[in-house]
Amino acid sequence: MDDWRYDSARDLGLSGAESYCSVRREVGLATTLLTTLRWLVVRSYLKVFHRLRVEGREHLPKGLPIILVANHSSHLDALTLASVLSVEQNRQVFPIAAGDHFFETPVVAMFTSLLMNALPIWRKNCGAHALEALRERIDADATSDPCGYILFPEGTRSRTGEMACFKPGIGRLVAGTEVAVVPCFLEGAHAAFPPHRRWPRPGKVVLKIGVPLVFVDASNNRDGWRLVTTVIENSVRELGGCEESEKKSE
Amino acid sequence: MTSETITRLFGAGEAFEHPVTVWVTVVIFGILLFASLVVGILGKAGRLSDASHLELRQRIRSWWLLAPILIGPILLGGVWVMLGVLLLSVFCYREFARVTGMFRSPLVSLTVVLGMIAIAFSIADHWYGFFSALPALGVIVIAAVAIAADKPQGYIQRVALGGFAFLLFGVCFGHVGYLANDANFRPMLLLLLVSVELNDVFAYLSGKALGRRKLAPNTSPNKTIGGALGAMLLTTGLVMLLGRPAFAGTEMSSWGALAGLGLILSVAGQLGDLVLSSIKRDIGVKDMGVTLPGHGGLLDRFDSLLLAAPAFFHYVGYVNANGIGLDQATRIFTGGGG
Repeated sequence: MDDWRYDSARDLGLSGAESYCSVRREVGLATTLLTTLRWLVVRSYLKVFHRLRVEGREHLPKGLPIILVANHSSHLDALTLASVLSVEQNRQVFPIAAGDHFFETPVVAMFTSLLMNALPIWRKNCGAHALEALRERIDADATSDPCGYILFPEGTRSRTGEMACFKPGIGRLVAGTEVAVVPCFLEGAHAAFPPHRRWPRPGKVVLKIGVPLVFVDASNNRDGWRLVTTVIENSVRELGGCEESEKKSE
Repeated sequence: MTSETITRLFGAGEAFEHPVTVWVTVVIFGILLFASLVVGILGKAGRLSDASHLELRQRIRSWWLLAPILIGPILLGGVWVMLGVLLLSVFCYREFARVTGMFRSPLVSLTVVLGMIAIAFSIADHWYGFFSALPALGVIVIAAVAIAADKPQGYIQRVALGGFAFLLFGVCFGHVGYLANDANFRPMLLLLLVSVELNDVFAYLSGKALGRRKLAPNTSPNKTIGGALGAMLLTTGLVMLLGRPAFAGTEMSSWGALAGLGLILSVAGQLGDLVLSSIKRDIGVKDMGVTLPGHGGLLDRFDSLLLAAPAFFHYVGYVNANGIGLDQATRIFTGGGG
């Protein structure tokens, strides 16, 4: 008879405050209950307050690992993307959030972790090390403990609503892996909740989901990362073909 | 609810009615104060190495935090003991789940925690029938719930670990809470906690002094047969001294009954310690967590209570004519009792 396998938590040995700010953080019972509650509330909120319409839902993979990638112009973005996942996926899909904003103080970090299930990335020193840890978690650990990310490769919310260029970090995460990258495009989120507003206002939001991309053949080096990033950026831009109309409405 | 029940559950005013409660509280805080002073003075005088100074300070600081958390609920009233034990169960399960990977089965984890809440309810209700049915019910429900994931790979491991954790941290610790249904719960709980904690200290000290042959070198390399025997002797002495006034007026206060209790507590305490050591060795971790600086996780501190609590409960319940709280009103919320 084989021995049992014990997969201890990755963040074993970290104190509470340390693990909230770590990309090794694990999803326990409390986080599961709170993120599921958040998922339920946000789903009805988006339906009622923003009459959310989802196009291309059939493209969304049922399993893991996946990375949802979208344009970023509003705090509604990550909530909206998470709301279209299944409840099991939502438990294991981490929005990647700015460490210097959402993980600034222990209390804020706890809130972000328990309710948003987010993992931090520090924008100032978002070096190879941080990206490597994220890549390892979604790729190397995929068979035993699959997970997913929600990621905005522009790096920050657009102040005008117009999509900026993607940073090549996304390529570094997925080049040469089996991870399914799902390009998404959000319309109306910027108008409903632009960065300068304190609270969102009612307004229609449309989420377009594209065909998943897999970069298992891409080379895991600087050229490969740049290539992968371009392909992803183009497919997100393609989804938002009506970007011009949004510009006019500003 | 009768006025006797209300006093037992909420009567902080009666906290110091029993002399044993007063002595134990005073002595514990006295020892802590003394230890802080000694370590402080030795540290200032440079008589301790930096590492051991830091470790001692961390340990003492943890005890300053632990002692009020342990004694506070006992003084405040039965309801706080029951609530505290529920929290202890849940947080110990959390450590166990993180180390074994059980937390990756949220439904089983949720069932274990709900089972612990059911135990706390049966205790607060003083419904022994439900309390003694819950071990079986809990395991049945865990086995049933684990089917829901529809993932037969690892089914036995998930159910076995869930059931094991429920029995150890829910049911075993639950016996500590159930003691709060006895009118004499303050001296009894303090006797249990003090003798189990000191049993560890006795084993350590007598092991240093006369320990030669190892007890279980693969499980816990530092434990010796001399330490185990020394602890049995010293703990039995302590329980006889402290138990005489704590159980005054009941069958338990006879010297023979107290000697039996001391032996049982010492053996069960050391076995609980070895149970946790085996768990840690099997998984390959040093500590169960980082909750208490200098001690490790909560479980590293409360391991000796795991088996000692049910042993204490059933032994005292058997010897005393009044059992554990049999003269108190039962089934307080569900009705059906007096």
